Amino acid sequence: MSEALAKTEEIMKKSKALGADDVIARTTFGRYRQTRFSNNQIDISVAWNDYVTDVVLSWKKRVVATQIRNFQNVDDSVKGLFQLAKVSKENPQYGGVAKGKFRYQKSKADRTLENLENPAEYVLEAVEAARKEAGPDTNAGGILFTKLEDIYLASSEGPTGEDSRSAIELSIRAFSQSEASGHGVECSSTIKGFDPARAGAKAGGIARLAKNPKAGLEGRFDIIFDPLFAGSLVGMWGYMTSAYYVLVQLSVFVNKLGQKVGSDIVTLRDVPASYSMANRLFDDEGAPTRENVLIDKGVLKTYVHNTSTAKIFKTETTGNAGLVTPTPWSLELDAGNMSRDEMFSEVKRGLYLTNTWYTRFQNYATGDFSTIPRDGIFLIENGEIKQSWKDVRLSDNALKMLGNIKGISKQRQHVHWWGEADPPSLSPYILMKDVQITRPK
Amino acid sequence: MDKDIADYTLDYAKGKKVDYAEVRAHTENREELAMKNGVLDAYLSAVDSGFCVRVLVDGGIGFASTNKWTKEEAKAMVDIAYKYAKMAKRKDKIVFAEEKSVKADWKVEEKKRIANVSPETRIQTLMEMDKALTSQGINVPGRMFTFGVNLTEKYFVNTEGSVISSYVPRIGAFMFITVVESGKPEQAYKQFGYAGGWEAIDKWKLNDQMIHEAKVLQRVIKEAKAVKAEKMDLICGPEVTGIATHESCGHPMEADRILGREMSQAGKSFIYKGGPFWLGTRIGSPAVTIVDDPTVKNSFGYYEYDDEGIKAGPRYLYKKGVINEFLHNRETAAKLGVRSNGSSRAINYDREAIVRMANTFVQPGDVNEEEIFEDVKKGVFMKSFTEWNIDDKRFNQRYVGREAYWIENGKLKHPMARPVIETTTQIFWSAVDAVSKNIEYDAGSCGKGDPMQGVPVYTGGPMIRLREVYVK
Repeated sequence: MSEALAKTEEIMKKSKALGADDVIARTTFGRYRQTRFSNNQIDISVAWNDYVTDVVLSWKKRVVATQIRNFQNVDDSVKGLFQLAKVSKENPQYGGVAKGKFRYQKSKADRTLENLENPAEYVLEAVEAARKEAGPDTNAGGILFTKLEDIYLASSEGPTGEDSRSAIELSIRAFSQSEASGHGVECSSTIKGFDPARAGAKAGGIARLAKNPKAGLEGRFDIIFDPLFAGSLVGMWGYMTSAYYVLVQLSVFVNKLGQKVGSDIVTLRDVPASYSMANRLFDDEGAPTRENVLIDKGVLKTYVHNTSTAKIFKTETTGNAGLVTPTPWSLELDAGNMSRDEMFSEVKRGLYLTNTWYTRFQNYATGDFSTIPRDGIFLIENGEIKQSWKDVRLSDNALKMLGNIKGISKQRQHVHWWGEADPPSLSPYILMKDVQITRPK
Repeated sequence: MDKDIADYTLDYAKGKKVDYAEVRAHTENREELAMKNGVLDAYLSAVDSGFCVRVLVDGGIGFASTNKWTKEEAKAMVDIAYKYAKMAKRKDKIVFAEEKSVKADWKVEEKKRIANVSPETRIQTLMEMDKALTSQGINVPGRMFTFGVNLTEKYFVNTEGSVISSYVPRIGAFMFITVVESGKPEQAYKQFGYAGGWEAIDKWKLNDQMIHEAKVLQRVIKEAKAVKAEKMDLICGPEVTGIATHESCGHPMEADRILGREMSQAGKSFIYKGGPFWLGTRIGSPAVTIVDDPTVKNSFGYYEYDDEGIKAGPRYLYKKGVINEFLHNRETAAKLGVRSNGSSRAINYDREAIVRMANTFVQPGDVNEEEIFEDVKKGVFMKSFTEWNIDDKRFNQRYVGREAYWIENGKLKHPMARPVIETTTQIFWSAVDAVSKNIEYDAGSCGKGDPMQGVPVYTGGPMIRLREVYVK
């Protein structure tokens, strides 16, 4: 047992000795690095180190939590936490935490991501690739982010383990003109095969095509979503499978288990696999993470759960525990059988949307929402890109859109950017029928 | 908080021959309560304390932060920040606008000290609200309430001699409810925020506000009619005025956005050099003056000095409909040849301070609320909103009414079912012909930065009347 795990276990045991029923202590040593750039130059590079032990305990179904960052006062912290539990309110829906001893897989974290020797090189490589595609006047900005977290978890109910989680992400947006841009991302858990130029070339390629955009038109269109936009949609549907969101009606999937919610070609999984930026061996209760099929051939199979929500729904945890809210870690929309070219050839008059932001709901329960396409917005006629558009909005319904998916590409990309395409996902090109587009008047 | 470590960090940075360095330390006492459908899920209580160093070297910026308060860690943080700053190798060097050094110690008073309020009382406040809400005979199957307290102590020092200490207690609440009637759901959320003490709870009247929202949703389901899409007058309540102000005036006036520094995330602005809009360009009617003012007492976005140590004051963004003043930090101010107006904020020690709004609102006008309605022949009163969004140049925006009513010959009629205004910044603000005397604020968490920094702000304002805009 490592020294860090031993100390974590000691915190757990101290809390337990005070009289707590269940205790989970989880220590994170995080090393996060980021280089931000704009106008083709580096604006700032950031390093932040975080040393924290999260403690969650229950006493007579009163659930309290703290974060210990000052390790000189551990005893006071856990005593204070236990006193808080004594005056807190019973949570009759508290169902305990994961129980048992588990054997976890070995972490495949890439420790070189603790401190890249020269992150600027990756940034400049991406910028040059964008300029090569879109021209020397291209203006690019974005971030390069790396993460290395060492996690130590000790639960009074049995789970004890260590995990290391690494990630690297490059996100670049290139402007060929003031209103013509493209966005590309490169995401991975390791440096191996990480190719900043791929993201830069994608951003630059879209920015080149997006030049001289015309104001778009209203109407209903068949739409091809780029994997980056698809990542936003997949994240939207994925988060709505959280049992917590279902319980508070922040989801279109309320009372829909076992029902058809999407077209037959839609299979959505949560897979916190080793390739993913969101890789992890266990959840916040220490339950081993696993692959969960959320939607199988259009049928909603399960919500994602922690132990408490699982008990409410009379099922078992899916290994997606957060303290209060179970959450999907890393989503995958199963590949389809179309090539990107085949998908375009299916569209007589439609749009190719490459990215979006600012997704907001009128009503999560009904699924009515809008989102604003950004970067390349292209009119397709007879399978060919005919015109670059701007200033339109996708205003439709999350559930209806899931049912209107008519094509999924074989090709998929691991995507994530900011809070918009989140959580990380493996997303394909999606062809969707009859989507409503609106514009300002 | 160990101020000696912060001072030591600055001294060590000085030894690296930096052009500029600052150390900012935060200690945050945080509490969060999460309640779902009447059940307290969890009660979090924690202290977060750490510091950051930001250095300017050869025109490049490096930043590092940690929560380990040791000299060894401090040195490591300065070393990596210094290395990162040197790594930038910028062609156009970053410089900071000249500013005087400041020595200050400021705080926000709590009339009712939060620390004296027991956990039981905090829990009871939420429980009572849930009880009040569910005893109205309205079906509210989805209820998510969160309640938070953040007591922030800061210490700022820089190589120019500034030394600033501050203490700001903030208290906030968020409520999301779903009302179902005849199988049809409608939803509402409300956010509350205040800089000060527990007296906020008395001011907010949470129970009354949430009961009002539930009744409104029930009535919308039962009685609301769809709008016939056409041009008409639109009266925006303070909540709608506030969100439009924040999104289509505050954000596009952030100078870092204008200069492209946020281009990959929050985006740029419809205002840019060589473009159709710049300082002095008309963007709205003469009735529209929009202010961002961090010094509104007890506001959620209150501060006296920003996170670069610059004295805060009101900024007149749009003045009588004309683009007047951008929001600046020292970096953007230097680029545009002006002084910082104290708009640099960071959410915690582990985040870079960037250009932010504080409390952004339309300056009140000279019209009574009754007068605003009286000569509207047909139109919509959009009192509050549900869905909203805006493009990343802050021009194409949309607001969907939550509580809204049809107006006919100056009188409020039936509720409207989610009326929509989807228009441009220029059309929206040019259509304003009347602004009411009274102002109301709403709390919000403004998102920007990468990693995301949600900073506390006030939106809000008076009622405003827009003539002949397209509502659908």
